[in-house]
Amino acid sequence: MTTQNPAAAVGQDKNLPEWRAQKTYSRNLADSRIKATLPPLTPEEEARPFAKYYYEPIKPADPAHLAAMDQPMDPAMAFGPEEINRLLDIPGLEAGVEVGWCNLPNGAGYIANTIVYPDVTADMIDWWFAWHPLEDLRYRIWYPPQHAGIMLSPIDRARILDPAVPNREKNWGVVHNVTENTDCGFENIDIAFRSPADMGFDMDRFHKVVATCAAGMGWAVAVEKCDTSITAPAIMCHAFYDVPGGLRHRTRFWMGYRFTEEGKPELCLPPDVAVPVEAVQGLARHNVREFTRFGDFLPRIYKELGNSMYC
Amino acid sequence: MPIKLMAASRRRPGLTRAEYFRYIEHYHGTVARLERFKITRYIQNHVIDGAFGVLSDTAHKNRAVDREGVVELYFDEFRDMIATLEPKGVTQSRANQDGKFFADESTNVIVMAEEVELPVANPRPKFNPGLGEPGHGAVKVMQFIMRKPEVFPQDYHRLWRQAHDEAMANSSYAREMFRKITVSKRSRINDNDAAARAHFKMVDPPVYDMVVSVTLDSMEQVGAFRQYFDAMVESRLDFADWSESFFLYVRPVRIIDDAPPKD
Repeated sequence: MTTQNPAAAVGQDKNLPEWRAQKTYSRNLADSRIKATLPPLTPEEEARPFAKYYYEPIKPADPAHLAAMDQPMDPAMAFGPEEINRLLDIPGLEAGVEVGWCNLPNGAGYIANTIVYPDVTADMIDWWFAWHPLEDLRYRIWYPPQHAGIMLSPIDRARILDPAVPNREKNWGVVHNVTENTDCGFENIDIAFRSPADMGFDMDRFHKVVATCAAGMGWAVAVEKCDTSITAPAIMCHAFYDVPGGLRHRTRFWMGYRFTEEGKPELCLPPDVAVPVEAVQGLARHNVREFTRFGDFLPRIYKELGNSMYC
Repeated sequence: MPIKLMAASRRRPGLTRAEYFRYIEHYHGTVARLERFKITRYIQNHVIDGAFGVLSDTAHKNRAVDREGVVELYFDEFRDMIATLEPKGVTQSRANQDGKFFADESTNVIVMAEEVELPVANPRPKFNPGLGEPGHGAVKVMQFIMRKPEVFPQDYHRLWRQAHDEAMANSSYAREMFRKITVSKRSRINDNDAAARAHFKMVDPPVYDMVVSVTLDSMEQVGAFRQYFDAMVESRLDFADWSESFFLYVRPVRIIDDAPPKD
């Protein structure tokens, strides 16, 4: 994993909003209950140059696209995270199921999705995934109905704001602590991003096929956590491919899987337990809606603010 | 990758330390061998000595005062751990029922962890039967380090590693005598510890995100750990609640281990 340098941000102006947003872990965890109520924007948030995106109408998902998530797909058309390099086989992907979800025979949840984004570039993707975790509102404007807040640790914030780290690499080894509702109630989800190599991609082939990617592993638990709450792992991969006039986005989720310390995907469901259908379908439908919105507003916000991590 | 379940217990009322050690090794250990289920390796660590909190504490703030033993149960994967803690067709395994005879179960502390081994400057150069377990040294120090609640878990591990490297650089005796360093990092799988709590029966246990194990040749060298520990506590990096942390000098006892000795 990427080495982090806590001193990287020394000398930067800590009074800027991007630094002042920092909270402690315990404070953020406690505040997540407030965030999950989707409170109105504060006066400080209202004054941010991107606040207008919070109020604009959300582009609805294509009904046919959403309908493809109504019923589970054939699990025989799915593949596991150990075969992540199948995302580099474009003809194979096009011949398979590109939009769907199911439970795998081992109980894991599987989601496939694809969307084409006109006028979106890989640089925009890299900028967005580095820019948006710096403040709650940046995450909320992505999908206001279900995105409640986000936090970085101090060391991760320093990495994101380190001008020496390229946008494409800023998230490698960084954890986004998000508060999000993926159709089963608000959860605190700790998403640990990884480099493509750490995801298991064959990097010689990866660079020939994929324009950029945002991927990692998340642990999700209800904001209103109780003694019997389950903390659920999932491996996530958003891969973006150059197509004429824009990018094609392919998503895969493997719910119930984690990465071990040595970097291997591992199913960690108890025996005879499957990821609940509601959780798999909920995330599948959420994914269609949040990324429909994403493709709609990314070119506009990038044109306005995409030259910096600060604004 | 193997996952490990660690449980640190103290002896039940009415038992001497010697009685506790005899029972857990010779009776409970036999129960585990007879009802092995999916355990791949089982090490008991019998506590010789230890310290809870730090010298600057005027009173104990540690919820885990007094430990007599730490067991380490290894499994190939999480599913195997669950299959062992909640075996099919068995209401309560013998091991589950046996704990009450030696441990004060409600105070057990558990950590589900994955091991990461760190390099040492001076691994033991050759096999010596006078120094206990081949390749390891006879004495192990197990340090349970409590994360400060305000520190993000990801930063806790990074800051610990930085403090560790600096402490080692400043501790020449530790550099010379540490034969093996193993970091047991608490897995988020531990969040789903209902089966383990049912098995070990602890109530509202403190949560430790990391256990660092160091092996030394013998008790004569534990001053090397004290030198390292003092350097850690004095670190400028603020990540641990040392008053809620503790370390134990232990004697490892192999109950189940199919792997041949490495030396």
